[in-house]
Amino acid sequence: MDVVEKANLDRQKRWIKDSKAGEGTYAVVYRGHEAATGKRVAIKKIKVGQFKDGLDMSAIREVKYLRELKHQNVIELLDVFSSKMNLNLVLEFLDSDLEMIIKDRSLVFLPADIKSWMAMTFRGLEFCHRNHILHRDLKPNNLLIASDGQLKIADFGLARDFADPGFKMTNQVITRWYRPPELLFGSRYYSSAVDIWSVGCIFAELMLRTPYLPGESDMDQLKVTFRALGTPTEEEWPGYMKLPDYVTVGQFPKPSLRDLFTAASADALNLLNKCLTYEPRRRISAREALYHSYFFGLPYPTHPSKLPKCAKQVAASRPLEDLNGNVEKDATGPGVHAKNNRLKRKLSSPVDEPKGRSIARRLDFTK
Amino acid sequence: MEERTLKVATSSYACLILAILYVFDPDMATSTSDDGNESVATVKKPLYESSTQFRNWRCSPEKLAHIRHSLNEAAVSAIRNTFEAAEPGSSANVSFLDADEELLLVKLYVSKIPQLCALFRFPEEVEATAITYLKRFYLRNTVMDWHPKSVMLTALFLATKTTNNPISIEAYASHIPKTAPSDVLDLEFLVAQSLGFEFAVWHAHRALWGIWLDLQNFPGDPIRLPMSAYDAALGHIRTSRLTDTEFIYAPSQIALAALSLVAPDAATKWADTKVSADTDTSAVSLSSMVESIKSLILSSGKIPDVESVREVDRRLRICKNPEKVPGTKAYLAKRAEEERLAEEKRAKKVEEVQKAMGADPFGEEIKNDAPRPGLVDYDDDDD
Repeated sequence: MDVVEKANLDRQKRWIKDSKAGEGTYAVVYRGHEAATGKRVAIKKIKVGQFKDGLDMSAIREVKYLRELKHQNVIELLDVFSSKMNLNLVLEFLDSDLEMIIKDRSLVFLPADIKSWMAMTFRGLEFCHRNHILHRDLKPNNLLIASDGQLKIADFGLARDFADPGFKMTNQVITRWYRPPELLFGSRYYSSAVDIWSVGCIFAELMLRTPYLPGESDMDQLKVTFRALGTPTEEEWPGYMKLPDYVTVGQFPKPSLRDLFTAASADALNLLNKCLTYEPRRRISAREALYHSYFFGLPYPTHPSKLPKCAKQVAASRPLEDLNGNVEKDATGPGVHAKNNRLKRKLSSPVDEPKGRSIARRLDFTK
Repeated sequence: MEERTLKVATSSYACLILAILYVFDPDMATSTSDDGNESVATVKKPLYESSTQFRNWRCSPEKLAHIRHSLNEAAVSAIRNTFEAAEPGSSANVSFLDADEELLLVKLYVSKIPQLCALFRFPEEVEATAITYLKRFYLRNTVMDWHPKSVMLTALFLATKTTNNPISIEAYASHIPKTAPSDVLDLEFLVAQSLGFEFAVWHAHRALWGIWLDLQNFPGDPIRLPMSAYDAALGHIRTSRLTDTEFIYAPSQIALAALSLVAPDAATKWADTKVSADTDTSAVSLSSMVESIKSLILSSGKIPDVESVREVDRRLRICKNPEKVPGTKAYLAKRAEEERLAEEKRAKKVEEVQKAMGADPFGEEIKNDAPRPGLVDYDDDDD
């Protein structure tokens, strides 16, 4: 047997697949464990043979970056092995994500909780940016939560290295609600500032408990953004009217953030404002954000182990970011529920989900 | 926006340059810890040192020779057995390739990659990455199993994707004579696997650009070299890709040596500014290392003589592994064996499922961790 085959077989034997946890567009996710230690893992099996051009780009990106990145606040890729024509990613097992937590109406967030999630998000993101990697798909359901409360950035399927100056990148990235205006206007030269905008939207969502800028189309996204933050002036964002896909969206006055975020501290609003600055060059960087007075003032961030957690979903349902379609399953506020379904871009198996829950209930019953 | 991207991009070279301070130390390869946990680390280590390249694709010249020799020996003995199994005594007159001959053949195909890249107008990044993939592949495989001519095409195609310059397989294959899309794709998984799915590569030409920008930014005293000096240094880096330097030294060290071949004074001056800030690496050890890299580039950076490679390739036709040649007896035997094992596995699985279905339906659902019949993944035939 070839050296390569043998090494792969050894790796494969380290991990045991238990049950199917769900099915995404290009992958099947299994719950599993490490044979030697029993440590719980998620195994994401990517079907390779089905793509015309061989290994698929998002699988390549995910493997490439996760192989290099090791940080407390970035999901850990424990191993990669192949089985026939499938690529198996062994990832650390994570119970839930920030979207589930935001939507769980039974949970109450303290300002210190939000600060803790924000600090972990910025730490993970600063690490990505320090490694010259743009994530390009930050949103609450890509921020996974481990059982010890640690937040981990996941889903690097759209990530890429910083481009050299003068080299184009695609502007078709980042889920719409979290997409910065420079991308909506078709900018092909952009920076780590695009991720910061997304974090700003997530920050606002944590405070509001509902998506902050839920546009229904790309055009509507600009309108929703400008309505919330005011139409940028030429002084605020020099030259933006010359961006390739610039369209006039209408004049909206700049409202005070204070009117919407009534309970937020001055520091929190100041940081939010710096994340949602129109001019990308003036937007705060992840590193600067970590030094922002918001993180040093009272209340101090909650310890991760003491953060609010969804109680129910922990049992079984979905260890991975891939199964986004299922998140609205329980305890969602009425209005938010319907709205959210529109933007879901990934599929999942509708059958497994309720079954998983009913089993959990029966488990409770037998106790 | 330009200004900002320039700033960020420059900093990416800066971190490559930081790695200059690292000198190869065989102990480090084992002592480097895997945890990149920032809060725990007391000494801030260069980003390069947490890369898979630093951790897994770096070794001493002796270790490199050892890997190649033992790989070659294992391959020869395995192929000899295959020959004997098919027809006893048939391996007696076969002249197998030795490790050096294998390397020679690989080197020839390394030198073909730039020509292909020129045809497609791929960026330097693609070319350098494909070359690294091809060279890494043959630290895990033998040319007697997989001919570098085909692996090269797959390595290049894979590199276009991992560096974010994808093109369609039809466009790619149609520009290469006598190559069908399947010739390229069939090996892709094998190549990715041999690379350990470690796709990110740190390149010396990037480090050179960083040094070049640095030279122009020396406080008060910028060094102005003509652009031709940069091009000449880049030429040396391209030459270095034919050698083992990338397995032994950091990209920044190779870049410094390349510059030193062109503009020794500027290189020394630049290195001095880096070394003075660091206590671990002395200027002397750095300069002796630069000298070794320079001599390695000059001595082994030559495209192999086609005649001698032709001789190797002619022998390869006879000694290549028959198990990898479709249609041969050994190939068919191996496929049949694989099919039998897979069939066995499937049968076992069906049996397990049937057993589970037959069990008490009420007892089944309570145990959460037992495989539930409804969730058995029928298309998962691989575990």
